[in-house]
Amino acid sequence: MSPRVEQLWRRRPRDRFVRWSFGFIVLLVSVAWIAGRFSLADLFGERRARNWDRFLAEIRPAPLVGRDWDWGTFLDWGATIMRDRGLDAALSTLAISILAIVLAACLGAVLSLGAARNFATADPFGCVGRISTGSKWFWRFVYLGTRVGLIVMRALPEYLLAFVLLLIFGVNGWPVVLALAIHNAGILGRLDSETIENADPTPLRALCAAGAGRRQMAVVALWPTVFGRGLLYVFYRWETCVREATVLGMLGVVSLGYWIDDARTRDRYDEFVFLIGLGVVIVLFGDLISALARRLVR
Amino acid sequence: MSCLPTVAESPAERRPNPFRGRTNVVVALVVGAVWSAWQLDLRLVDLIPSQHGLDVCLEFLSRALTPALSSEAEFVPANAPPFLVTVLEAAVTTVAFAAAAMGVAVVAGLVLGFLASTAWWSCVFPRGSALAHVSFGLARTVIALMRSVHELLWALLLVVAFGASEIAAVLALSIPTAGTLAKIYSELIDESPRDAAFALQAAGGTARHVFCFGLLPRALPDMIAYSFYRFECALRASAVLGFFGYGTLGLHLYQSFVSSNYGEVWTLLYALFAVVIGFDLWSGAIRRRLIG
Repeated sequence: MSPRVEQLWRRRPRDRFVRWSFGFIVLLVSVAWIAGRFSLADLFGERRARNWDRFLAEIRPAPLVGRDWDWGTFLDWGATIMRDRGLDAALSTLAISILAIVLAACLGAVLSLGAARNFATADPFGCVGRISTGSKWFWRFVYLGTRVGLIVMRALPEYLLAFVLLLIFGVNGWPVVLALAIHNAGILGRLDSETIENADPTPLRALCAAGAGRRQMAVVALWPTVFGRGLLYVFYRWETCVREATVLGMLGVVSLGYWIDDARTRDRYDEFVFLIGLGVVIVLFGDLISALARRLVR
Repeated sequence: MSCLPTVAESPAERRPNPFRGRTNVVVALVVGAVWSAWQLDLRLVDLIPSQHGLDVCLEFLSRALTPALSSEAEFVPANAPPFLVTVLEAAVTTVAFAAAAMGVAVVAGLVLGFLASTAWWSCVFPRGSALAHVSFGLARTVIALMRSVHELLWALLLVVAFGASEIAAVLALSIPTAGTLAKIYSELIDESPRDAAFALQAAGGTARHVFCFGLLPRALPDMIAYSFYRFECALRASAVLGFFGYGTLGLHLYQSFVSSNYGEVWTLLYALFAVVIGFDLWSGAIRRRLIG
């Protein structure tokens, strides 16, 4: 290495915290693999191989068992499943994800105001001047409370949240929709608040100087500035929502997951794999719509 | 110049009126929400919980400040470990599953991510061979398939196909994570700032130099930050895998819930919060240092 390159190398940005974190993660992964009871042999043993052969035999569509492959019969079989429950379950899965993400977007937009460091303070954008101690403490409380609230909302896995809400609301669509909405509002709220914190403060200072109140600033200046980016985040999260909505059905609500679990408990692995395939189609469809919508928003 | 894909023109040049597109999207979202409520047959009345639901809710919430420190089960086997030890073991198992899965996912994600990025193929194998095109398309398809099946469905599939084992759970966690990492890695590499890459090219660097020392280092901070975020997701997914019988926090949460031992539930919930929120704060600190 030439001296110049060596000099550059020595001056590369270094951060002790990041290095230690990185080292710790590598250690954690190694310990997990060495001390954990994970062994690839569990997948490739002789018994596993027999299991695999049995599985391959069982996923052959029922009308085709013991016969040559025939696309006509296969399509008839698939169409029957779709008519019986597949189509309705697929639509319900999409419905759960759409309603959940719309609720999450609204809730997240409101909560993001309380979690934005530059807005949830006694002196937003530095134009109020004299601040009373009471209002300082009040806004500190609002800021911390919202932050903690958002962090707890996104720390709870959707599946667990839906399980708890089902115990409270009984079996209908709400628990699943609300569980997805709460978790995603936690994520969207944080992302929106970061966007607010990075927003250009000049127009807000001008508004404030002109005597605008907090509510006016939020509606007239803050939301419009973060709107585009917020909408992008909404669609990114929606893709995840579609995936989750599929699975949450396993708790007993009629989305695709319900019928996937139903097929599994009836040992009908042909239908099980078919319905998982239908899930893949829905998710890819969601990704496509989301990509189109994001292009429109940009 | 074939090695460096041109950066897309700025959004302002492309779209004279940014609000028309957005308005349509918002209208579509509102219409979608109304249709969803109709499709799911949702009624606002159902949001009022039944008396039984209210009782459960109150009983559950009333234990929030008094989590159980020992088992609340009516029958505790004499040789059973203390409750808090069980909680700790479950928390450690949750982290272990997630960590083992992330180890696989990052390696697989890097390989697939390179194969699915345009910059990799144009820089490292500049002569666009048929093999390059096939590999690129194949990598994209594999990534999409890995991503589009949920962790829990992978878990069910692997258990049905190979039988229950710890490694099946780890693979179930790592397959969709690897797919997502690969997608994000490839996008980050393709969209990373081109300044250093152009400079290297002007200074006479080969295409491989441009990729390894121009593009990759510019994308690396974002890649690391995103991987940490995915670790957090893996932790949550790992906890939920317990609902399917693996020894993570979800297993005990489920058991305590169905036997209405809400004190135990809160202890387990606090353990879950400690793990996930601790990691959230940590990865947030790393993100701030790397990206600023």
